[in-house]
Amino acid sequence: MYTTKSRFIYLSLLLALFMSMLPWSGSGLMLRPDFVMVTLIFWLCRAPHLCNIGTAWMAGLLIDLATGGLFGANAFAYSLTAFFAVIYQRRLTLFNIPQLALFVGALLAVTQITQLLLRLFAGGSIPDWHYFLPSLTGTLLWIVLALLSASGTAPTGAASNKRRS
Amino acid sequence: MEQPTTAFFVRGPQPFTRLVFFSILSLVLMGVDARLHYLTEVRQGFMGLLHPLQVAANMPGYWYRQTAEYWQGHDAMLADNRRLRIVNLQQGVDLQRLRSMEEENMHLRQLLGAVQEIKQPAQLAEIMNVDRDPFTQRVVVNLGSRHGIMTGQAVADGMGVIGQVTRTYPFSSEVTLVTDKSLAIPIQVERSGLRAIAFGHGRDNIIDLPYLPTNVDIQEGDVLVTSGIDGVYPPGLAVARVTSVERDSDLTFARIVCEPAAGIEQHRQVLLLKTPLVAAATPIPDTPAVNTPSGKAPTPTAKPKPSSPSSTTATPASSTPATLPAAPANGGT
Repeated sequence: MYTTKSRFIYLSLLLALFMSMLPWSGSGLMLRPDFVMVTLIFWLCRAPHLCNIGTAWMAGLLIDLATGGLFGANAFAYSLTAFFAVIYQRRLTLFNIPQLALFVGALLAVTQITQLLLRLFAGGSIPDWHYFLPSLTGTLLWIVLALLSASGTAPTGAASNKRRS
Repeated sequence: MEQPTTAFFVRGPQPFTRLVFFSILSLVLMGVDARLHYLTEVRQGFMGLLHPLQVAANMPGYWYRQTAEYWQGHDAMLADNRRLRIVNLQQGVDLQRLRSMEEENMHLRQLLGAVQEIKQPAQLAEIMNVDRDPFTQRVVVNLGSRHGIMTGQAVADGMGVIGQVTRTYPFSSEVTLVTDKSLAIPIQVERSGLRAIAFGHGRDNIIDLPYLPTNVDIQEGDVLVTSGIDGVYPPGLAVARVTSVERDSDLTFARIVCEPAAGIEQHRQVLLLKTPLVAAATPIPDTPAVNTPSGKAPTPTAKPKPSSPSSTTATPASSTPATLPAAPANGGT
């Protein structure tokens, strides 16, 4: 039970990495959600005993490797976001899907702001507002994921709330 | 561990402890990577592991293009063929002139005793993916060190310069685009022959031409070509076209904005040009006096730029000062 499920988590993370490595270009690139982070948030809220800050850190490191960025920059942003996801995880059952979506959007924004700050330290310039569009699309992706999983068996409050709305 | 109930309540260290631990770990990694450059080998190894995934990620697009090509109508193909034939004809005429001019040029060069141009062989590569980082303008292409690609090679397409190889992995390499902030190209204004250095702007597909006085002889529409004095880019490749020149007498420098000539965001295929020194098979690039073994005089490089080709993080040709002497016109001694 334990091994199969954690393997499922790693598989889904690998799939997310695969999605982000697809040859995106143009407006697709501008809108591309952070697949790995969305998947991580999904699992952090769903199965915090299997997917924790360490998992997020490893995933971030993998992203750093794949993109050739500064080693550890994404790992740092991911573990910080995972921290916020984990400390509020117990309270999430009280929320319905729109409220959860806000929470997820905020988490994705935390990731992007951390990445932005690290970049600014390295001497980057402040980007346009559409730098934050991936947070929005990521939230939408999370809503889709949540609705899909809620139609099956869901341990959190997502399912009951979905039925209500 | 077997029972999910215990796994649910036993949560190991507190989240904050974990956060501190992993934050410190990543900060150390960042420091080591940024300052000490120890991790390039590690990165290359892992990149080799990730390569299958990268190839797989390119597969859907590849299949899509294949099938799209297959189902492309007969008429479209014929029209394309006709158009290409016309283009071919026009270019054939130009090419004939080029041949004779090349010969004439070589003859003149021999008469002058000046240096011979070294032909730069090129390899066709395909763009695999675009960097997800909005701050850097980089793409990954499908040729790597196994194919003989070295850091510092110039990258171009049919319309102009695209950028420079800045990092090589076994099966892929990273190309920094001309619009990236860290890339600088020595250029020459085609109309006036003025030499300068162009810098990427970092965003919005723009190239800057900084540090030129307000009375500089540059107009809108001027074409900037590579000057070739860096020894990385062959001379005469189009780099950019000037789109606006702002001359504010309060400022020390003119504000010149250009747009890149190459279709940086459109093409899938790019050419990786061998650097002249690599092309001439110079064995030791570190020696102060660069003598090519084939008896030819060195290329008109003011500075043999390709810093040791084995190093994996080459600085883009940025340190060439703007006031370089011209290509050695004193030529034949």
